[in-house]
Amino acid sequence: MIRNQLVVYLNGVKKNIAGSHAFLTLAQWLRYEEGKTGTKIVCAEGDCGACTVLAARYRGSDKLEYLPINSCITYPYLLDCCHIITVEGLGSRDEPHEIQEAMAKGNGAQCGYCTPGFICSLAGMFEDLKRNKQKISEKKVKNHLTGNLCRCTGYLSIVDSAMAVDPKNVARISEMYSEVEMLQDFKSAYDNSVAIESENATVYLPKSFDEGIQFLKDQESSVLTSGGTDLGVFSNKGKISLKKIVSLNNIPEAYEINVRNKFLEIGAKASLTEVEKACNQYFPEFSKKLHIFASPQIKNKGTLVGNVANGSPIGDSLPFLMVAGAILVIQGEDGVREININDFYLGYKKFDLQKNEVITKIKIPLSDAIFKLYKISTRKDLDISTVTMGTRIRIKNKKIEEMALAFGGVGPVVMRAKKLEKELVGKTIDSQTFENFATKIYEEIAPIDDLRGSKNFRYLLCKNLFLKLYEDLSREI
Amino acid sequence: MSIGKNVIHDSALGHVSGQSQYIDDIPSQKNEVYVGIVPSCFACADVKGISFEKLNSHPDFIMGITADDLHDNSWGTIVHDQPVLASQKVNYMSEPVALVVSKSRYSLQELIKLVDVDYREKKGIFTIDDAKLEKSTIYKAHPFKRGDVQKALKKSMHLLKGTFKCGGQEHFYLESQACIAYPDEDVMRVVSSSQHPSETQRVVAHALGLPLHHIVCEVKRMGGGFGGKESQGAPIAAYAAIVAKKLGKPARISLTVDEDMKITGKRHPFQNEYVVGFDNKGKITALKAHLQSDGGAYSDLSSSILERAMFHLDGAYYLENVEIKATCYKTNNHSNTAFRGFGGPQGNMTIESIIEDIAQTLGLDSYEIRKINCYRGSKNITPYGQKVENNMLPELFEKLHKTSQYKKRKKQVEEFNKKNKYKARGLSMTATKFGIAFTAKFLNQANALVNMHLDGTVQVSTGATEMGQGVNTKIQQTVASAFGIKPSSVKVMTTSTEKNHNTSATAASSGADLNCAAAFNACEMIKERLIQIAKNYNIKNEIEVSDSLKRTKGYTFKNEKVTSPSGKKYNLKDLITKAYLNRVSLGAYAHFKTKGLEFDKDKGWGSPFNYFSQGTAVSEVEVDLLTGELKVLRTDILMDLGRLINPGIDKGQTVGAFIQAMGWVTTENLCYDDKRNLLTHSPTTYKIPNIQDIPREFKVNFIQNHENKRNIFQSKAVGEPPFVLGISVWTAVKNALSVKCSSVVEMSSPATNENILITYEKHR
Repeated sequence: MIRNQLVVYLNGVKKNIAGSHAFLTLAQWLRYEEGKTGTKIVCAEGDCGACTVLAARYRGSDKLEYLPINSCITYPYLLDCCHIITVEGLGSRDEPHEIQEAMAKGNGAQCGYCTPGFICSLAGMFEDLKRNKQKISEKKVKNHLTGNLCRCTGYLSIVDSAMAVDPKNVARISEMYSEVEMLQDFKSAYDNSVAIESENATVYLPKSFDEGIQFLKDQESSVLTSGGTDLGVFSNKGKISLKKIVSLNNIPEAYEINVRNKFLEIGAKASLTEVEKACNQYFPEFSKKLHIFASPQIKNKGTLVGNVANGSPIGDSLPFLMVAGAILVIQGEDGVREININDFYLGYKKFDLQKNEVITKIKIPLSDAIFKLYKISTRKDLDISTVTMGTRIRIKNKKIEEMALAFGGVGPVVMRAKKLEKELVGKTIDSQTFENFATKIYEEIAPIDDLRGSKNFRYLLCKNLFLKLYEDLSREI
Repeated sequence: MSIGKNVIHDSALGHVSGQSQYIDDIPSQKNEVYVGIVPSCFACADVKGISFEKLNSHPDFIMGITADDLHDNSWGTIVHDQPVLASQKVNYMSEPVALVVSKSRYSLQELIKLVDVDYREKKGIFTIDDAKLEKSTIYKAHPFKRGDVQKALKKSMHLLKGTFKCGGQEHFYLESQACIAYPDEDVMRVVSSSQHPSETQRVVAHALGLPLHHIVCEVKRMGGGFGGKESQGAPIAAYAAIVAKKLGKPARISLTVDEDMKITGKRHPFQNEYVVGFDNKGKITALKAHLQSDGGAYSDLSSSILERAMFHLDGAYYLENVEIKATCYKTNNHSNTAFRGFGGPQGNMTIESIIEDIAQTLGLDSYEIRKINCYRGSKNITPYGQKVENNMLPELFEKLHKTSQYKKRKKQVEEFNKKNKYKARGLSMTATKFGIAFTAKFLNQANALVNMHLDGTVQVSTGATEMGQGVNTKIQQTVASAFGIKPSSVKVMTTSTEKNHNTSATAASSGADLNCAAAFNACEMIKERLIQIAKNYNIKNEIEVSDSLKRTKGYTFKNEKVTSPSGKKYNLKDLITKAYLNRVSLGAYAHFKTKGLEFDKDKGWGSPFNYFSQGTAVSEVEVDLLTGELKVLRTDILMDLGRLINPGIDKGQTVGAFIQAMGWVTTENLCYDDKRNLLTHSPTTYKIPNIQDIPREFKVNFIQNHENKRNIFQSKAVGEPPFVLGISVWTAVKNALSVKCSSVVEMSSPATNENILITYEKHR
């Protein structure tokens, strides 16, 4: 059976979304169709957090995990079988939620426009703390609020307000809302594929990759979306218009992360948050970088495969995946093929990917080599890179035995410094070596001037990051 | 008495629950229409024609509007030189040239793109240097002069010559410019996100060709203002109003962040040339400066902003021989406007930069230079003749020096710098001495309407607009303490020009000073009547009350009771009831004006300010010399805000202003392409401070000062003064680089990673 409406719950109330409403952004739908105007639209690109709401996705089990997401760059069709909580769903002026009361008393709000977003992010933090039985700390508060901008308070009162909340007194959302009925609804809806049409757009939610590929074949010029964090921005800023969409939302296997045959396998719909968690064990350096990669809201929606398929020359995950030699698993009409990511990028936003082909997962070979990753941006957190560098290195007897080096932000694609890599093999790890070779990088990169940095700045950064690599390595060996 | 207490923001519970209503949260009426702005595609061009033809086939298109539809197509807070909609010529990139009206908010962007405008591009002026060559100016200020600068410079032991450059800044209020206009028979009611309802009323009236009494402007609150809605909210309101008038339907305009950032003006970039003379100890013997700002395409508030930069070039330091010239240039950039500090920071930063350079030249600690130049004792007359009364600056410097453990940390910083090749730390203390009052004297007035109800609760209305700064809460506290009632018994109502007329913008940090004082005066009038009721409580005939303010002494209003000098107690509510039954008014309207402001512009001499809010801050930073990355390790702030009206709100303002300024001097970098398209037009590209950027250690304190007799409750204004302290982060960066550099560190602001790294590479 094919469903023609989306099943979502909003603050505990069932909503069937069909027709043109399915194609609004979630924030538009909340504000203008449901009157939930506590959710604000400011940047419409997931960079300010004023639109933050909580979403819990049904994935076959009876547990709903409430995670903050940016409602301005997501669509109802990416939230089928989800429970959405807005700021209004947490409490009201007369009966405020614990967090709301603390923020009011602690002068955590000034103009108030960013406040609902902060409240929802904090609610997400307390859900997380309770789920993982962790204690609150200033560092955690800041980490959970990285995706929320405030122009009035200077943040201090927000941190203090959050710290004033006793997690014991914070109710879990599952305690505030009975989930029995919604779980039943989700369960019965979950087995269906979904197809929705409006006057000028269609969206299809297949249950399997096969089904999705078939649809892509039948419906020419369809756009495939997984997390939608980039497509949402492009659409909001008028750069694309989403007319025919295939959403990977309802494909259970796409969410999987596994370790199999010495590979870490990451499904197309696995969120960056989950990837960060999984990499903590296998690739701690990458996990650390994912930490400043983006905001919690983005990482709860955005996917690693999305970052690869977007293929930006400043894609933050790409230097790592390249030096790690990640394998992309690509499924098409004729079956499945695998390709090394180093061969995937053919030019600026040009990929070795055919029409009707889908990257279903990424396989990263497990490795005991040393990984070092660097990202330089105007603002440390939640910013697009000026230059990135990734390296995998194996050292034996103080000599470089194996070296992979990749740079982002210095050309049309993230690139490997292959000449330099070769020359470095066999060289002794000392400051002399690194100083001698640092400017050799210039031969292989071709940065440009743009708003994130001048050409000269980028040259300088590449050289200096290479020197920094030595500083960091010398501390470790 | 609620003054001095942490009364929570009067909208706090609404804010945290998402129930506070902003313009675009107001539910649409059934017949409401949506207005979009067509921005120009050139920074300087003739407009040969505008065509809406392609829109006719779009089902949502209602109409297009051009300059021809406006009755009076000019506005400007000081000089009327800016068109509401550009006609014939555009003078900056993204200048509004036309409006489109849609049935749906969702199709506005589509419609905007379909409008055809025929341009003939011309050569524009985009930099201060080019404007100088072309003699393109908006305003030349009368210079300030004291002593003999030429002579003093000649006699100085040391001379430094330089140009200090600082960039502009986007306000980044989270609620973009927005307005809904409701036609109400022959009155146009505009509900606006504006710091200046009276100006909005005037601009709308002129654009529509209606007299002022046919326009009402209402402002409940703004989602941030910071100066960006002082003048610039007005034309936006006019856009909605002209459509509402033409169609007889409510019309809504609500800009996207990208539109807002491209269209509206920003903080003025400055380029200040100077020569400074000083002795071996770092005492400044003479300073000659020429302040130069980029005003953009139109005057807006640029002349006043330029003058405030001149007023704040001295910073916290006594300048015996000084000459300050100032010019605002006209360019083909967006029309720059008010932004928290209003030129003050750009002036102040110049002298703080100079002091860092003096310190580096002499090999001394910049704190010592600041200390010997600080206003002190009889050396307390500013370059424009105002005496720094109740001067707290020496105390603020010395106290913070102690509490921040400056000496010890300076040593630690030095040791760190010796040990590290690729990292450098810097430490720097700077000060603020911010003049409080509008420098245009006539603006220093306010009025308030206080209505007392039979249950003892009070509604108060003033011209102040709430943008998060807590002015409404301070007014609430003022009225509550005047009547001796709970703050919750006082409601500050939506600001509206039908209740309060000819109001000044909520700006210049003076919102609370002026409007609390006006509200206080209105309360006094009602109290005087209630006292007369108390005095005649037992007479049988109707009590006659005279309205002359006798200021009956000895009566106290506390805990909802009124006590006579002899100790007789009356319930406030009983007096209210009695007043009503005796046909005595329980409402009052009062006016307030700041006294003692005198400044002779032609002589550049006098006392433009009511008093100075003062403070110091010390910041410690670490820069990575390989990447230019900056960490703010610690900041200590010490403010003098007189007696605080609301410590929670005042601390919030102090911290918020500091971080906003920290953004201005570090990561907030406006970038344009060759055609002057703004490339940093959203938070993806324009980076305001994030929660991770605030100083890792952050201490904010206030000193006790009960001596400010010149303001209500001996308080001091807080909005802008602490902004200036954010400069300490930038001077600390300079200090860090100075350790590793052989020559005086010439660095512009903002200190982005790139700027830090390139500056270091240039000087090392």
